[in-house]
Amino acid sequence: MSSGFFVHPSLFFFAGMIILPFLRDLHRKVFMVALPVAALVTVINIDPGIYGTIKTSSLDLIAGRADKMSLMFAHVFTLMALLGTIYGMHLRDNWQILAAWGYVGSALGCIFAGDYLTLFLFWEGLMVTSVCLVFLRREKEALRAGYRYFLVHTAGGLALLAGIFLLYHNTGSIAFGPLPASSASWPAYLIMAGFLLNAAVPPLHAWLPDAYGSATVVGSVFMCAYTTKTAVYALARAFPGFEILIVLGVIMSLYGVVYAVLENDARRLLSYHIISQVGYMVTGVGIGTAMSLNGTCAHAYAHILYKALLFMGVGAVLEVTGRSKFSELGGLWRYMPYTFIFTLVGGLSISAFPGFSGFVSKSMVVAGAWQSHLIWAAIGLTLASAGTFLHTGLKVPYFIWFWKERPPFDPPKKEAPVNMQIAMGLTAFFCIFIGLRPQALYSMLPFNAEYHPYTLYHVMESWQILLFTMLGFFLLIKKLSPEPLIGLDIDWFYRKGGGLFLKFCRGGLARLENGLIMNIHQTLFLPLLKIISSFSAWNDQKVVDGIVDGSAVSTMALSNKLSTAMQSGVLYRYLAAMLSAVAVIVGITIWMVK
Amino acid sequence: MIVKFIDWARKNMFFVKAISYATLVLLVVADLFVPREHPHFIGDFIPGFWAVFGFVACALIIVVSKWLGKKFLFRPEDYYEDEEIKEGRGHV
Repeated sequence: MSSGFFVHPSLFFFAGMIILPFLRDLHRKVFMVALPVAALVTVINIDPGIYGTIKTSSLDLIAGRADKMSLMFAHVFTLMALLGTIYGMHLRDNWQILAAWGYVGSALGCIFAGDYLTLFLFWEGLMVTSVCLVFLRREKEALRAGYRYFLVHTAGGLALLAGIFLLYHNTGSIAFGPLPASSASWPAYLIMAGFLLNAAVPPLHAWLPDAYGSATVVGSVFMCAYTTKTAVYALARAFPGFEILIVLGVIMSLYGVVYAVLENDARRLLSYHIISQVGYMVTGVGIGTAMSLNGTCAHAYAHILYKALLFMGVGAVLEVTGRSKFSELGGLWRYMPYTFIFTLVGGLSISAFPGFSGFVSKSMVVAGAWQSHLIWAAIGLTLASAGTFLHTGLKVPYFIWFWKERPPFDPPKKEAPVNMQIAMGLTAFFCIFIGLRPQALYSMLPFNAEYHPYTLYHVMESWQILLFTMLGFFLLIKKLSPEPLIGLDIDWFYRKGGGLFLKFCRGGLARLENGLIMNIHQTLFLPLLKIISSFSAWNDQKVVDGIVDGSAVSTMALSNKLSTAMQSGVLYRYLAAMLSAVAVIVGITIWMVK
Repeated sequence: MIVKFIDWARKNMFFVKAISYATLVLLVVADLFVPREHPHFIGDFIPGFWAVFGFVACALIIVVSKWLGKKFLFRPEDYYEDEEIKEGRGHV
């Protein structure tokens, strides 16, 4: 327990959601900058410690676990909230900002949670608020993607909840800490499944391009930062050193690269590269050494900024031109040059060019793999990093800003809105700043591990890989020209599967009902029923009725005989009966008195 | 300023290309003289290994992915839509 002062940074954003709708014009704009800045300053000034503990008879709920790891994630989350809010400042629609702030608040809640129940609460908040950012696109396709996103994440959330219950049942504790790899069983695997789904690890990843490609322009800038990185944080907390994560991480880093080749929509391409980049972080968690966990945290920090910058750039193009498909874009360099430069900075950062943020963070994870003698993992990740440059550094800028002499539509009259450019400029500044001054980033890292990215050999290695990838790109560019096609992914199973199930119900089941069951009913059951019913009718008429009628008839006959015998109407017979009855009673009385 | 520079580069493509190729050659030549401090595996000893790696990686990713796409994965853009529209439930 620490005595330091602690205000939960989530509270800023939740309070902001209530206040923002009452503000107009300049006040609103000032508030939109001031609130994330206040949260950021608060995060910077939090002393490590455990805050906000609620003790019940059987559970300890902890809302504020502040240590180096949670503070590092909170730092970039609040910084990103500032940049994203500036990017969305031109919106007259408050709803998107409100949803985004709720989303940021939930993510911070997850980061500071010290027990699984608190984590779960904010985890679900993350899902509910982010799905709003998809719905707010207010298009048919977005509505559909939003529902799919919602259903998939509900399933993941339930897996997490089931894991938490089982964990509590087995151990009596729900403290959010490392689950030992040696004795892992169902509770751990269910919790891990919930985390892996949010981290978009294949085959639980298809929601990501689906939702981020359909969300609002501002919404996807926020979404690309929080959900997956919260999951990475959760994995780093609970599952460091789980070797399965190394395999999954390397697979996912390559999986995203392959699908990015097939992608025609710029935002979906960037989404597949989130999967690829999160693969590095998941690998780092799996390796589990101080170096690689540091790499995971550093890469998450850098990734949030450069990926947001890329989504900002592509989003600005979508905002201005209404297009995000490469096959419908091209030749914009003359019309949106600033957006081009900012996007390029994002592309060079994600590609780990020396001097940009990705270079100082991604290489830590790869170095962690080399250090642990996981040569195949290090080679796999390096292969993925060539693919990253190929797509995000080359394909995205080339097919949006060059490729064609002129845009294949009326060229836009103006650049992106000023606030968007400011946000992009600031984000680009941070990407370069981290790349040039890695110590600023490294000083926040949770573990002690010496690392120097700028060795001559490492820089030379990077330049060779990157520039020869570029050579390959320009030699094979004809193969890459955008085609208006989509690539099938795992979501096929539930998108087509759902349709097939509906078809099965409407077609198969209905035909089964109308054809087979009706047929069996008519040929087998109906005649059988008729036989049974005719038997019961006969039974009813002859047997039951016979018995009833027969007994009625005989009762009538008996009572007729009795009544004629007893009620003859002859007086002396009545008198004789009375006297004999009196004689009998007197006789009995005398006998009894004796 | 940016537009002017790009314009200039596009008009002098030959010059840009020459510089680019010269840089590539220079990189591989320079790699002969870079000291190997912490070699992790055999590739770290071969000058120009990472250049070959980068080029092969790029070609491999493009060719394999496109092959996967053409062979198995590519579908028309309205692939997911059309059934709902066909059946007259294309609205929300």
